[in-house]
Amino acid sequence: MKHVFTFDPDRCCACSACMIACTDQNDINLKAGEKCFRKTYDTEVAFKEGGIYCAYLSTACMHCEDAPCIAACPVGCISKDADTGFTIYDNTNCVGCKSCAMACPFGAPRYNTEDGKMVKCDGCYIRIKNGMKPACVRACSFGALDCLTEEEYRNSGSDKACNVLIDQANLRKKEALGRWR
Amino acid sequence: MNELEKKIKAKIPGEDTGIEIKRSLCAICSPGCHCGLDCYVKDGQLLKVEGTLEHPYNRGKLCTKGAANRNYIYREDRIRTPLKRVGPRGEGKFEPISWDEAYGIIAEKLAAVKEKYSPHSVAFFSGYCKWYRPILHRFCYTFGSVNFGTDDSTCFKSMDIANSLTTGAPGGPNIPNTNTFLGWNYGGYYSNHLSVGPVRALKERGGKVIIIDVRYSPAAKNFADIFLQIRPGTDGALALGMGKLIIDNGWADMDYIEKHTYGFDEYKELVQNYPLDKVCEITGLNPDDVFEATKLYATNGPACTNFSASALTHRVNGLQTHRAIICLGALTGNFDRPGGNVPSFASYIHKRGGFTTREMEFREEKRPFDQLRIGETRFPTWDEYCDEFQAMDLLRQIEEGRPYPVKAIVGFGMNAKMFPETDKLVKAFDKLDFFVDADMFMTYTAKYADIVLPSCSSLERGEMKAYEGGYLAFTKPAIPPLYESKSDVDMLCELARVMDLDDDLLKAGYEACCDWMIEGNGVTVADLKASDLPVKIQTAKPVVPGAYLEKGCRTPTGKIEFYSKAIAAYDPKYGLNPLPDYVDPLFDENDPETKEKYPFHMIAGIRIPNTIHSRVHEVPWLRSLRPDPLCEINQDDAKNLGINDGDPVEVSSPYGTVRLKAMITAKLQPGVLAMAHGYTEANANVLVGRDHLDPYSGYPGFKSLRCSIRKY
Repeated sequence: MKHVFTFDPDRCCACSACMIACTDQNDINLKAGEKCFRKTYDTEVAFKEGGIYCAYLSTACMHCEDAPCIAACPVGCISKDADTGFTIYDNTNCVGCKSCAMACPFGAPRYNTEDGKMVKCDGCYIRIKNGMKPACVRACSFGALDCLTEEEYRNSGSDKACNVLIDQANLRKKEALGRWR
Repeated sequence: MNELEKKIKAKIPGEDTGIEIKRSLCAICSPGCHCGLDCYVKDGQLLKVEGTLEHPYNRGKLCTKGAANRNYIYREDRIRTPLKRVGPRGEGKFEPISWDEAYGIIAEKLAAVKEKYSPHSVAFFSGYCKWYRPILHRFCYTFGSVNFGTDDSTCFKSMDIANSLTTGAPGGPNIPNTNTFLGWNYGGYYSNHLSVGPVRALKERGGKVIIIDVRYSPAAKNFADIFLQIRPGTDGALALGMGKLIIDNGWADMDYIEKHTYGFDEYKELVQNYPLDKVCEITGLNPDDVFEATKLYATNGPACTNFSASALTHRVNGLQTHRAIICLGALTGNFDRPGGNVPSFASYIHKRGGFTTREMEFREEKRPFDQLRIGETRFPTWDEYCDEFQAMDLLRQIEEGRPYPVKAIVGFGMNAKMFPETDKLVKAFDKLDFFVDADMFMTYTAKYADIVLPSCSSLERGEMKAYEGGYLAFTKPAIPPLYESKSDVDMLCELARVMDLDDDLLKAGYEACCDWMIEGNGVTVADLKASDLPVKIQTAKPVVPGAYLEKGCRTPTGKIEFYSKAIAAYDPKYGLNPLPDYVDPLFDENDPETKEKYPFHMIAGIRIPNTIHSRVHEVPWLRSLRPDPLCEINQDDAKNLGINDGDPVEVSSPYGTVRLKAMITAKLQPGVLAMAHGYTEANANVLVGRDHLDPYSGYPGFKSLRCSIRKY
């Protein structure tokens, strides 16, 4: 069953439990300079007319339907998982050319410091196949991140999929609560 | 990679992968929490953690810190063996010794202090984690010392005393049944993650939320119908002003006041001094906002109020501020009714399970009475309502030796950075004959100890724990103790045997002690250990709103006291006020010279997602989220001072200086600075004066003090 990540910025506080869970799940070696596949943002956006919007965000690979990284890889490391629809990889043949990272509009693929090979968020597709949620979703205490089947997503009527997140952060005008002096 | 290898890499539990889920609990933060933990274990190694879905307390949720448990327990600086100091105090030079040798030295040194001075010259002190406290407390009393102290000297207890003085009982917000949530100092997201769900549910069913905070927090953004961004430390004035509005507008519940309260007339007279314009001048708030918030709270009931453990009481006017806020619940009849603040009492180590244990009797039967505790007679309400010495007087007593010398400290997780003027305290350790500290890591404080004992984590031990909803648990180790580390309670019981204390129960060990404490509840430790999840206790009773008032409050008058008879009874020399009047949070730092030199209002101790006090600053995963200690400063102030985001800044008070980096924000108001506490390299508490204390509770004004800031 095809899956999608959803994100609700009105539930997020950038606590970064998702990042810690990603680090735990994927044995990210921070000490060696590696970074986990998810990143949070606690950003203050100033309105022209005064006041701020506090953007709390969490992003990772968007698992694009037409993922440009797949075509960009000269050795065919990246593919779509037939069940989940997530963008997965097998970096056995990776030559470390970084074409995938350059093709990705979100900068999702990263490179292992030790072997120079590409790694990225695989949506925890093996966990999903075993009836579990992705690690980052499981760690979100506030329901900001979720991972749904395509059917669940359609039925939920959600307009908060990850791929509209950037729009929301930059374009959606929101009245700041309280009075700003 | 074949399918099995993929599953092993993805850490999927199962017979094929050899990965097993073992149940434990996270003990990184306060025992008011302690979420159930699923530990993914293979061959005795922890592979990852998740919250336990079936756990009645956290239902699968973990916070940022809890999610980092693997990195926490496998920190490289875990203490591996008992250690004996070989260099000067604080340098950190130690040599490994055996457990037998460590116990021998401790027994000999403590006996020597007892012999030369008195048993009271040995102070027993507990920091985090608090789970072993009943055992340490009894150990202290059996040894013969009156001096058992903990971080309660600066955490939670001041609020608890204010509750005891006013309503006689702690009263948590009953959010599931409320219409209006007065989120006084409510952060939630970074400090009490399990509280966020109920507030969201309230919003989704059309309830209202008022947030009062010095920072524009995620809770203010995501939940507030009305947000009052108040000047630090002026909450008491706001509460009194709200009280006046409630009375003047006829929103007070006069039947309730008549039936259940004492001292209303005196309170009514007091709040006449807090008209709206004056309150807004003090608090910096907009009068319309204050009026609308008060009206919403008073007329859209039932309404409940958030009481945070220490955010408000870390001011020198803190205890009375909390009292003033409780009085609003009394005025509107929201104390002890559904959807209001409903009293309940702790079953075991702060957790309210709805059943009783003999936790208090367990220590009381050994209590000595032949000496004053450290700090006794200095803070009358503390003395009356707390079973511990007020540690804010420890530094003075070590330095002065009056009324008697303190010559040894038995610390468990002791944290000197919790104390104002930390630098002076660690210097005073030189006056001690002996200092032993047990901890998981070689902390800043442990480096000053003569003997350091290696504690294990909650994942490596079994412990008894009560939970809300009538539950009791006894965990089993998920992995064996690392290196030669031990459970804190095993150290104490073994030491009781080595020292041959007159205490057969302690010598019988932790499980025997637990069985003694839970006797009468129809379960034994063996029963609890048979379950991987908390066990429902048959003696547990649900809290029935209204039942407490019906029985009469645990106060001198049996009523909710606007006017505290207990405070009125103290010697007038203390100058304490039976009414919850407001005083300036900087009243002791307002002389013109100090005001000019230190124009900023510092909040030295804010919540950020990746820290809890000093507990996890050295956990690499968590540290990576915010690598540098930061001082938050309003964007306009920063501009005026020529400070850019990330600039190195020096923050000073009359007591000390810290160097850290600037974080520029619009979430704080001009004139206010804020920083997280507990960093060794930028310890907020060196900025706090040792006598900047609440005269009622002895609590330091961590969250309201004068500072200056400059780029360096």
